[in-house]
Amino acid sequence: MQTTDDARLVERLKARDDAALETLISHYEGKVFGLALRVTGNRPDAEEVLQDVFWRVLQHIDSFRGESKLSSWIYRITANTALEKVRKRPKTRDLPLAEELGPAMTEDGRIAEPVMDWTRLPHDELEQKELAQRLEEAIAQLPPDYRTVFVLRDIEGLSTEEGAEVLDLSVAALKTRLHRARLFLRKQLTDYVSARHPALNPPNPGRPDAHMS
Amino acid sequence: MLTCRDVGQLLQDYVEGALEAPVRQRLDEHLADCPGCLAFIKTYKHTIAISKDLRCKDIPPELQRKLRSFIKDKLGQPDA
Ligand SMILES: [Zn+2]
Repeated sequence: MQTTDDARLVERLKARDDAALETLISHYEGKVFGLALRVTGNRPDAEEVLQDVFWRVLQHIDSFRGESKLSSWIYRITANTALEKVRKRPKTRDLPLAEELGPAMTEDGRIAEPVMDWTRLPHDELEQKELAQRLEEAIAQLPPDYRTVFVLRDIEGLSTEEGAEVLDLSVAALKTRLHRARLFLRKQLTDYVSARHPALNPPNPGRPDAHMS
Repeated sequence: MLTCRDVGQLLQDYVEGALEAPVRQRLDEHLADCPGCLAFIKTYKHTIAISKDLRCKDIPPELQRKLRSFIKDKLGQPDA
């Protein structure tokens, strides 16, 4: 459902109110561009998506009935416009299975390898920047469908339900994609930190029962 | 007793606070005794936390201008 603020803004847009147009653009341009940039992965495409989205919104505002929130509707147009661009490119490989994105397990379901805890990193601003940079690169490696879910949910901060509505997915499907995207990114960051800071690698777990059959 | 594999399957609901209290408690008990799962969950949560900081709030000023003049041009066209 739309909020009363949404409803008022939409009414003013339908009346071709210039101030309302500026309100719309200034409120949504960062969100639209942020999503477009990460889904397409490059600035020229993202700029085109940005323009197309606002133009589409204005063209279709008269048929916007307020059945969803205005933000959901705009995110949906943005995701579709950006994915249209990406789908014209050669297909990317799919994500490995979720199990392969987690630690190796013994047959009876215990973690079979040491797991590094790098959450106390970064130690300084430079490392913080490098980690963020590495994260951006890893996000760019996600298949587009996963990337879109991840950006909407974990970067733009949409709820699971709103993300599912925007992308026309079931909540369960969205959660599965989101989890696999997070697992993939966690693994990429872990591999990166492990190579940069080998001293952080934990010793092999010495729990005696870990070796008993 | 939950296995590490069970923990992996409950992980997402755990970090999103969607687990029922008794299950959550069993998971906490496992974590208290399993450094591997604890490190895994901490780094999973941390990945989510640093992702939040990537949100871009403003777009570059020249892009703001470009967008507004694009829309104005479009609206000024007779077939718009
Ligand atoms: Zn465990």
